Parts: sequence; C-alpha cells; structure tokens
Amino acid sequence: MLSKILYIVQKIWLIMLRELKRMFARPLYIVSSVGVMLFCTIFFLSLLRSGSAEKMPVAVVDLDQTTISQRLIHEMQATPSVDIRMITNDYSEARDAMQKGKIYGIFIINEGFYQDLASFKRPQLDFYMTNAYMLGGNTAYKQMLTMVNLVSGAFQREVLRKKGMTDEIIMHRIQPLAIESHMIANPWANYSVYLVSTILPGILGLICMMLTIYVIGNELKHRTAHTWMQMADNNFTIAILGKLTPYTILYFLLGLGCQLTLYNYVGFPVHGSHVRLMFGLLLFLFAMEALGVLMITLLPVLRNALSVGTLYAMLGFSLSGFTYPNMAMLTPVRALSYLEPLRHYYLIYVNEALMGAPSINSLPYALSLMAFVLVALIFSPRLKKVLINDASYSDE
Amino acid sequence: MNLWTRLYDYWKSITDSSFVFARELRRIFTDPGVILIFFVATLAYPFIYKVMYWNERIANIPVAVVDLSHSVESRDFLHKWNATPDVRLTHTCASMAEAEELLRNQKVHGIIYFPQDYAYQLADPLGKAHISLYCDMSSFLYMKGVYLSCNMVMLESMRNIQIDRYEDMGYDKEFAWALVQDAPYTETALFTPTGGYASFLIPAILVLILHQTMLMGIGMLAGTAREEEDKTIYRIIGKRRSLGVMRLVSGRALAYFVVYYALAAILLGFMPRLLGIPHIGDIGDILRFNVPYILACVFFAMTISIFVHERESGLVLLISTSLVFFFLAGVSWPKEMMPDIWKSLAYLLPYTFGAHGFIHMNSMGATLEQVEWEYVALWQQALWYFIVYSIFTYVASKWSEKKLNPFS
Repeated sequence: MLSKILYIVQKIWLIMLRELKRMFARPLYIVSSVGVMLFCTIFFLSLLRSGSAEKMPVAVVDLDQTTISQRLIHEMQATPSVDIRMITNDYSEARDAMQKGKIYGIFIINEGFYQDLASFKRPQLDFYMTNAYMLGGNTAYKQMLTMVNLVSGAFQREVLRKKGMTDEIIMHRIQPLAIESHMIANPWANYSVYLVSTILPGILGLICMMLTIYVIGNELKHRTAHTWMQMADNNFTIAILGKLTPYTILYFLLGLGCQLTLYNYVGFPVHGSHVRLMFGLLLFLFAMEALGVLMITLLPVLRNALSVGTLYAMLGFSLSGFTYPNMAMLTPVRALSYLEPLRHYYLIYVNEALMGAPSINSLPYALSLMAFVLVALIFSPRLKKVLINDASYSDE
Repeated sequence: MNLWTRLYDYWKSITDSSFVFARELRRIFTDPGVILIFFVATLAYPFIYKVMYWNERIANIPVAVVDLSHSVESRDFLHKWNATPDVRLTHTCASMAEAEELLRNQKVHGIIYFPQDYAYQLADPLGKAHISLYCDMSSFLYMKGVYLSCNMVMLESMRNIQIDRYEDMGYDKEFAWALVQDAPYTETALFTPTGGYASFLIPAILVLILHQTMLMGIGMLAGTAREEEDKTIYRIIGKRRSLGVMRLVSGRALAYFVVYYALAAILLGFMPRLLGIPHIGDIGDILRFNVPYILACVFFAMTISIFVHERESGLVLLISTSLVFFFLAGVSWPKEMMPDIWKSLAYLLPYTFGAHGFIHMNSMGATLEQVEWEYVALWQQALWYFIVYSIFTYVASKWSEKKLNPFS
C-alpha cells in the first residue's frame, strides 16, 4: 500500500519536474503570468489612485456680462469642488470645446441675470452635461448642482440679511433638511476599492485559464501528449496533477501577493475574514483552471480552444456585475452570468469584504465554483482518450 | 537610366505589391483561426454587448425603510421617493439591525433611516432634520441611483418646508416662492439624452473590438508564418532591398487595411444604427476618420507581431491588454484623473485617439475638423509604426539571408 502511494508520488514528482523544465525553457509562461500580474497591479492601483472623481472641467457661458455675474463666477472659481476651465460669452464656443472633449459641462448665466436679481425676479440658469462620458458627465452634473446651490444660497442669504436676520437663523432656514449619507464599507465612495478588487483577480483567472489550455493544448499540437501520459502509466489523475501543480502553486502565490497588496499594503477594507476571502480566490482559480481543461477537452485543437476561451472569459468581466449590476440585465443574460466563475468570486468578495456577511451567504457561490471542477472531471475521460491518441487530434 | 526602364520599375513595384497583397489575402481567408477572430468575433461581439446592456439603466433598486418618526412628513417623503424610477421601497423594518441584515444578504441595496425627532425638527422653525441614507457600494450604479434620487426628493421637500416656514413668519406665499426658487434651472443632457449605459459604453467597445481583433489576428498570422518557417513575411522581392521592403510591407498592410476598412465601416458606420445607440455624427466624416485609425491599427499590430513567435502565444500574451487599453484610453476613467505616465503611454496606442475621435463624432456630433487633433495624431502613429516595422523587416530580411535571424 505504502509503496504504491510512494510510487504514485514519484510519478507525479517526475511529471512536475518535466513541467518545470518546459515552464522555464521559454519566457512565455513567466511573462504572461508574473509579468502581466505585476504590471496590472501597478497599473490599476496607480491609475485609479485618486479613487473618485471630485471635479471635472466645465465651461461658464456668461451672457449677462455684468459685475454681479462676474462676481458670481469668481465665487464659483474659489469653491474647491468646482473646476471652471473656460469662461466665455459665446455658447457655440463652449459647445465646440465639449465636442472636442475638453470640458464635460456647460453652465449658462442668461442675459438679464443681474436685472432679475435686482428686481427680486427669479433668474433662470441653464446647464448642459455630456453623457457620452459617463463618469465625467456625472461628476460635472453634480458639480453644476453645487454651482446652482451657490447661486440660490447666496441670494437667499442676501435677502434675509436685509430683513435683519442673523446668520445662524439664516443657515437653518436655508438648510432645514439634510441627508447624512453612509457609503457601506467604503465611506470615501472610492471606485478603486471594488474595481481593482474584481479586475485583478479577474485577470489572474483569465491568465490561469489561458495557460491551462496552452500547456495541455501544446502537448497535443506537438504530439508529445502520449509521452506525458506514458509517464503517468496512462492514469489521467496522476498526469493532470503532475502537470498543473507547478502552475497552481504559481497562481496561488500570485493570488496571495495580490490579496496582500490590496488588503494589507494598500488597505482596502475587508469586513469579514481575510482567510475566507483568500479561500474564495483559490476556489475561483481552481474553477478557471477547470474551465481551461474543459475547453481543451471539448475543442482538442489548441488554437480553437484558446480563441473560444478568450471570447468566453472576456465576457466574465461584464457579466460579473461589478460595473453594471446584474439586476438590470435581462433574465436570460442574468442566468448565463452564473456560467462565469468571476460572477461567483465577485459575490463572495461583496459578502466577505464589503458586507462582512456570515460565511453561509458565500457558501452557494463557493459550491458553484467547485461545480466547475466537477464538470471538468465528468468530461475528463474524453480528454484522456484524446491525450493518449494525440496523433489523430493534433492536425489542423 | 532612360524613361522606359524607370516606368518599368514603377510598373514592377505595383505588380510586386499586388502579388504580396493577394498572397496575404489568401492567407487570411484560408486560416480558420484568423477568420474566427477577424470576422466572427468582430461581428458577434457588438450584439453580445448590446444584449448584456439591453436595459440601458438600472431601475427599481430595492431599498429598505426604517422610519422611527412614523410621521406624515416621513411618509410623504417616502411616497415621493418611491415614485422615482430609480428605487422601489421593498421592505419596511422596525430597526436598523433588521435592515442591515437585509443589506448584508443583498435583498436591498440601500437603507433610508428617519430618526424619531424627524417631524419634530421640521415643525420647529429653527430645527434641522436629518435623514440617514446607507448605500451599497458594491457597484457605482447602485450608489448613484439611490443617492441621486434621494437627494432630488430631499431638495424638493426642503423647498416646501422653507416655503412653509417663511409663510409662518408672515411673508406672503409669492415672496416665499421667489425666495426659495430664486435660481431655478434647467438641466439638459446633451447628445445622448437617455443617458444609458449602453449608449455610453458600446461606442468605445466598437472601437476597441477593431483594435484588439486586429492585434490578435495579425499576431496569429505572423506567429504562424514564423512557426512554419514560411519566410514570406520578410523575404524580399526585387533587387534593391529598401524598395523590396516597401513592396512587402505595403502589400501586406494593404490586405489588412482593405479587410478592416470594410469591417470598420460596418462597426462604426452601420452598427450604431442597427443597435439603436446614439449616432448623430456625419457618416462621411466617420468614414474619413476610419482611414488613419485603421492604418494606425494595422501598423501598430504589425509592430507588436514582431514579438509573436508562435501561432497561439499571441493570444495568451495579448488577452489582458484589452482591459488595460480600455482603461488607459480615458473613456470610462476620465483622462483628467490619470497620472502623467499613463497618459503618455496612452498616446502610443491608436485606440486612445480612435475612441475619443469616434465618440466625439458619433455620440456628440463633432465634425472632422473638430477631431483634428485625434485625426492628425492617428496619421502620425500610422507613419511611425510603418517606419518601425519597415526597419524591422529590413533587418530581418538581411539576417534571414545570413541564416542568423533571431525572429524566426
């Protein structure tokens, strides 16, 4: 019994050594895993460093051209949350700047603004924003609302002062109601937190799947699969364990590095347990490897499996729902989204890191990730057949 | 050299280029892997994205209510809020703990909380009432929907309260109105009035699909050629090497250009109409803009393909660039907030200029003159990548004859 176990371990070990040799023979493996992850980590963290868009350049079109409108513009410029990039008296000039992508909003002070104010009439303000850039346009919109409030507040204050009220009383009259907003687990409304927390594991999973297809498919392509199988006495479990273990260790280390960077070094919030989150990531990486095995099983030609795998996995980023929530998708699309492992990992991440929910909530997603492995195993006899008879499959 | 020899030379360079052009077209159309990437993926992806973002916007986000004030005022607020398209008040809870449980289980994506003294504070002429709003931050769109709609209702309620208070102080209603609504405003979303997610994202995706499928497909063709030791991608025709390089590079590039110019006309010209996303640009301007965009992409992809040594490795290496390029262009994450180093890197990619130029024209109705900056930049990129790739081909062909080509 013991000798048999030792024999199996030795077999796995020998296949692992063979794999390590292949792995370091070409820079492709290390560059596409370690290199890409390193670059992406630095890239996304530094790109989204500021976390949220506070202000975006807008233009003010001053059609009134009076001292009071100019003073108002001056006051707006002094407000830290407002970025006035352009002041003009010509609307078409501002529109042109917007179409060139220089500004995201146009704020218009209409003609007669001063006269209206002076005669207690309500001056009309107009503003325009672009929706062609979602985040830029939204931020400009919020910023111009602030500008409207500045106008309203200043005007009310002036009138009430003339009526002889004190500033404190005025404040309460102007602002009798307030919203205290609480951003759950992310009080700074920092996009970087959930974007990077999903994109980086997503990219790692993508690499995981692509390389799994590649290392198995390459054996088929170069007709070396039967030698690999012979090393394992044609036992599929031994063969696949020996082959994928070195990579799995590499992915695990990369995943661990990624988690440590995000949640320990940068300090993104984790309200639940770091260990459970890491466990979720590990299951996700297994699921992506299983998906890779499944792809090469169903399409046992390297380039076909890679092309289809690429198309499939890229959709995971949209379907996971971290940018555009799943509840807004059509029902069939929502159902399909559960075929993407990233969807399950994202839900585990939300539960564990953002909500601090009990682990029972994440259990269905963890089980689903394991189901991917199960499905790959169910189809594995087919792959075994293909690998042993590689000569008949490797051709175009 | 007399006139006839010179004319013959011109004629020869045209026939040689045509030969390379025809050969490259044949390689494209006889390779199932390339057909899958060039045509199937390019034409299928726009529909997939349209279906994924079918609803354009998120409506009826479930929200839980914790109302400790049990007042007419709070009920009135909730009634108004529930009437907005963004949210739906699905749960009424007795305590915050109960509501938090719902949020944790993702049954709701926001909580609104009225403290006990809400109505009392409103009734007090100097009082200030507070509402607490808890937003689910697992997606930007939840937060935006819950927060902005609540803020809008709050502003409207506030105005009514202010009017009541001024009336109580003895001002007449008209004056109170004038005071409160001193600066009414209209807000207009220019260009894409629905403000939907698909309208914003799909134009940028269409441009990216062209860029990335070209990158992978041309990489695959170059990898295949190297793998099969088919020297056609740097074997020189004719006597003078420099002229031969020109014929070879221009012939191949023209093949890619013809295929992709047609695809770009479909994706950027026709697809927005078919998918029902905003398309207010001039079609002629867009077709003219496509010329430098596709040229820049072709020479960029050819330059990148220098590093692809094997048919499939390009796919493995280049797959994650799609996300990086998308963010780098500054469409979803505004360029104003990007560190300088990434802004400079973005200038190396045709996608950056292609995406902005196309969005400005297609979604905001800019003319070709208004996207001059992008248009000129793309011509420059096309020129630079053409030069880089030609130098490479020159060197590679020399080495290949001396049999020390490290690129084969």
